[in-house]
Amino acid sequence: MEARISVRRGFLFPPYVFLLFPAVAFMLLMYAYPFLASVARSLIDNQGNLSFANYAKTWDLYLKDVIFTFGVTIFSTLVTALLSILLAVYLRFGNSPISRILAGLYKLPIFIPFVVVAQMMRSFLAPHGLLNVALAKLGLISIDYPLQLLNFSGLSFGFIWKMVPFTVLIVHGGFQMIDNSYIEAARSAGATLFKVITRILIPMSKSSILVALVLVYSQIVGTFTLPYMLIGGKIPTTITVDIAHRVNYFRDFGVANTLGVFSYLLVLVTALYYLRSTVKKIAETAPAEA
Amino acid sequence: MFRKPVFIITAEIVLLVLLFLVILGPMMSLLIWSIAERWYWPASLPQEVGFEYWKQALGLQKSLAIGAVSIVPAFFLSIFIAIVVVIISMLIAIPAGYALAKYRIPFGAFILFLFLMPNAFPQQPIFVNLLHIFTRWGLAGTVGGVVLVHILVGLVFGVWITNATFKSIPPHLEEAARSVGASSTKAFFKITFPLAAPGLLASAVFVFITSLDEFTGTFFVGLPFVNTLPMTLYSASGYNMQFASVIAIILLIPSILFMTLIQKMLKAEYVGGMG
Repeated sequence: MEARISVRRGFLFPPYVFLLFPAVAFMLLMYAYPFLASVARSLIDNQGNLSFANYAKTWDLYLKDVIFTFGVTIFSTLVTALLSILLAVYLRFGNSPISRILAGLYKLPIFIPFVVVAQMMRSFLAPHGLLNVALAKLGLISIDYPLQLLNFSGLSFGFIWKMVPFTVLIVHGGFQMIDNSYIEAARSAGATLFKVITRILIPMSKSSILVALVLVYSQIVGTFTLPYMLIGGKIPTTITVDIAHRVNYFRDFGVANTLGVFSYLLVLVTALYYLRSTVKKIAETAPAEA
Repeated sequence: MFRKPVFIITAEIVLLVLLFLVILGPMMSLLIWSIAERWYWPASLPQEVGFEYWKQALGLQKSLAIGAVSIVPAFFLSIFIAIVVVIISMLIAIPAGYALAKYRIPFGAFILFLFLMPNAFPQQPIFVNLLHIFTRWGLAGTVGGVVLVHILVGLVFGVWITNATFKSIPPHLEEAARSVGASSTKAFFKITFPLAAPGLLASAVFVFITSLDEFTGTFFVGLPFVNTLPMTLYSASGYNMQFASVIAIILLIPSILFMTLIQKMLKAEYVGGMG
């Protein structure tokens, strides 16, 4: 409608150009430019020549950490998937007072920023922290030999603690959309609870489960705060911690950016899936008017 | 729908107690540390509790003995940055969210990609390169630089939430106003804007909290000169558990409060990048 009015006045940009310009310009300058720069700088060595020197150095120094990052991410994502599906099933069918209390409580970690989660986990999982003290009180471990958790296991615990609630929120939302009549029909045909979960609930909310897990996976790869405060410079550590060390101690942007490219590669498949499915979903609800 | 035998109910209770402990355990640890004035291993609980660290943090007393400094300046700096970030982000995000909701735009897919990329790829390399760029522009270590980084983090949420809000408003309302002679600007401000207000407010709250909690971008671009609350928490956590716990609780309160208020708005695209 407006476009036509503009044409009558001579050549004018359609109104959306002005509406979108500030946001798009900001994103191009502050996101797209540094993104491309991170890839470009990874290919320039410290003499300013185009080379794979940074990649060779990163491969030698940090391959272990790339594998560690991938390991923590895959492990945490899979455990998150399992726990959140079980919890979402419980919330879907549970109608006891206990399940209603849990439904209110489980969301808390979603809103807690990573820097606070990191501080919590640091004090909770420390060798003399609350968890070890409680386990010792119960007689499960000896306080002289506390569990050492400021490593792979503690980091995974922190990620799972933060991510399960978010995933339950999305998966439970998907389960709620499934009509009870499907489940009742399957039940009356003799399906067990396990069959109902694997044949009805999961397949019917496949896309929302996948998007949630893809976001969890991408976010864990890119999270800096939790590993930095929980395990810091110990070996092995995560890519994000290495990037900070490379920048803060050596001002070595070449290797830092190469590590960044490695982290892009770790999320490449999930990122493309997320972008494709989200753009498709938005296109379905796009305005019809030309 | 599924009948429960007694052992399943027992299992349910055991599972719940475990879940409660796992969810609340780390929070309890924070709470205990924030009031522990003397806690020497191997005591399971602090030998002495009190609010000394709270008083010190909130600027109610100045004691050199416990070594902590007041967080009041950091608190006000964080609030100031968050307010500036909300104002600028919303001024940019509202028109963009509206345009993406109402018009079919050439290169639309490219623009959508640009606003989705930060959710899909790690953001830390972006901050590293912004540090490099900002050093050249004289913005590294300044409040202005930190504001720009926070806008970057907040803008994506701002655009998506305002976009969803405008999409939920039926277009025929604005068209009706236009057909009785209102200009498009007038139709927007008289019809669409008031209807969208709750969603826009939720979006602003989201951007505010994102800025208040932002760590990684501030760490690279702002340190060592811009000390927001999360930065103060980080530097305290190395040497003073009590002080770090107090700041952590102070950061936790607004996040839980505001996010509980805007629960209905929670969707995968927005919550995905939280923290």
